Amino acid sequence: MSRNNSLFTETWQLLCSLKLAIVLASLITLLTIYGSLVIHGNPVLFGNLDQLSLRAWTRQLPAGTLAMTWWLAATGLLLLLFGLNTLCCFIDWASRIRVRWRKTGEYLIHLGFILIVVAFAWGSWAGVRNDSQRIFLQEKVPVPGMPGYELIVDAVEPVVNRQGRPLDMLNQVRLLRGDQLLAAEQVRINHPLSYQDLVVVPVSFGQEAQGFECFMPGFGQLQLIRGTRIDLDNGKILRVQGFYADATRGANGQVVRRSNQLQNPALLLDLSGPGIQPWRGWYFLRDQLPFQLVANGIRFWPVTPIFNTFTVLTINYDPGADLALAGGSLLLIGALLTLVSFYRKRRVNDRPEV
Amino acid sequence: MLQYQTPLLVASFALYLVAFLGYLIRRPEPGMVLLWPRVCLSLGFLSQSMCLAIRWLEAGYLPVTNLFSTQFFFSWSLVLVFLYFEYRYRIGSSGLFVVAVNLLLLGVALPRDPAIPVLIPNLDTPLFTLHIVFSFLGYALFTMAFSLGVLYLARQLGMQHLPELRQLRKLNEEAIFLGFCMFTLCMIAGCIWAYIAWGYYFSWNIKSLWSLIVWLFYAGMCHAKFIRRWQGTGYAVLSIAGFAVVLFTYLGIGLLLESNHPLD
Repeated sequence: MSRNNSLFTETWQLLCSLKLAIVLASLITLLTIYGSLVIHGNPVLFGNLDQLSLRAWTRQLPAGTLAMTWWLAATGLLLLLFGLNTLCCFIDWASRIRVRWRKTGEYLIHLGFILIVVAFAWGSWAGVRNDSQRIFLQEKVPVPGMPGYELIVDAVEPVVNRQGRPLDMLNQVRLLRGDQLLAAEQVRINHPLSYQDLVVVPVSFGQEAQGFECFMPGFGQLQLIRGTRIDLDNGKILRVQGFYADATRGANGQVVRRSNQLQNPALLLDLSGPGIQPWRGWYFLRDQLPFQLVANGIRFWPVTPIFNTFTVLTINYDPGADLALAGGSLLLIGALLTLVSFYRKRRVNDRPEV
Repeated sequence: MLQYQTPLLVASFALYLVAFLGYLIRRPEPGMVLLWPRVCLSLGFLSQSMCLAIRWLEAGYLPVTNLFSTQFFFSWSLVLVFLYFEYRYRIGSSGLFVVAVNLLLLGVALPRDPAIPVLIPNLDTPLFTLHIVFSFLGYALFTMAFSLGVLYLARQLGMQHLPELRQLRKLNEEAIFLGFCMFTLCMIAGCIWAYIAWGYYFSWNIKSLWSLIVWLFYAGMCHAKFIRRWQGTGYAVLSIAGFAVVLFTYLGIGLLLESNHPLD
């Protein structure tokens, strides 16, 4: 029994040991120095570390990269050990708080650090990052990491100065769960939408061609975008099934999207109706109208592209963020208390040697 | 108002130079006040503070976003820290090295273009100001600790006109402690700012990693002073090593490597 007690005491003393803290802090420092250089030297491998949660990032790593990533696991392990060591020191202090209350500031810093380490580990494991999500106006986008939640952007307004330099991006954003409105905010630079563990920040905005305005004799100007239906004479129906702003025909004849820039626009059309052979095919707007359309008396000419505004948002879900904020607050209070305590000790000449 | 910034800056440099020469030529007994170098340094600081105030008022934000302005602000923080130690402990010529570093910083900054750059929208927040102020106060205190560490070793080698080892050790520990507190506040402001600006509070870019390294290093130093083996000489050596880490974090990354804290 006493041997067990002695083993427990020794283990506890080791875990509370200041020397262990210094050894761990030194090892973490050295590994981080090494790691920072590895990261800097391998931008292809580590370039998206901020765009994904640590768990997701490790999962997408190609095979054979252990030689460059081992230090991350080692640092993480040492950091958790360091957190445990700090926690034991904190518990040890808390158990003797009556005689050691004057060290409250220092130990709040310890507790704050522990919370931040735990929060970071939690966020890295259970968090989801969605960097640069393009959202068109009124488009419903599911929130990553929060099933059932959706985001809608109602308006995007860029703010520029007289020289045309962008100053801000105003995004009117709604967060919904089913039909229930949970939050509606204007998201702009340094003013994110925060809801529970979710944070939405603006990245950029832009416009993308969604279709073409065309002139059709007898119908006038028509907006041909995905989903448009035109009821022609004799029951014929022309539907727009798709649009690529920049399309190309591959070697196998299949049409593929090349880019989002308006270079070689193409409409995927569908013609059906009584007495005609149904037809579905691509119309490259720079070329002539497909024969099947002309043969059925359909003629139209592209006039101007139709653009739709989109915004680019970072949508991150981090379950550890609130805990990290609590840790940061404790660090702040701890640092301020320690400063006050330091000057008080100096004033009353309490332990002037420290 | 901006037309006054260069004359004020040149006046500061000249006053710092006179103070430096004063400390260099006259080596008083420890604890004795060398009045006129102290007055020159204080006047130089006043002039530099006026220059900073003008730039801040004109810009509408704390202009510390390029190499010139960071050197300028680092220099200002360094003199502030020196004056704190000078008025509190009368360190006098013991701070010679800090004044020399300050002259070097200002000397390199002076020929540069002092124009205030346009503010990047993400930097337009009080959190940025707090981050910057605490960061450079931390750097300045670590530089002070470096200087005191060098003096500690010099005193050990027999330079008798320097303050006592016990006093140098105490001042060194105070500089490290205050620097660590300031750097902690800088990290807190930076993390909150990063979260609201980019959606995460810790980034894996090289500057953030090295800031963490600086924080861990000096956190370790705050503990090391309680270990007998590390007291005195060991602590002085660590202060010097820590300054190398600070220097790389501030200048090395901004100038030599590609980061999200560029210095152009």
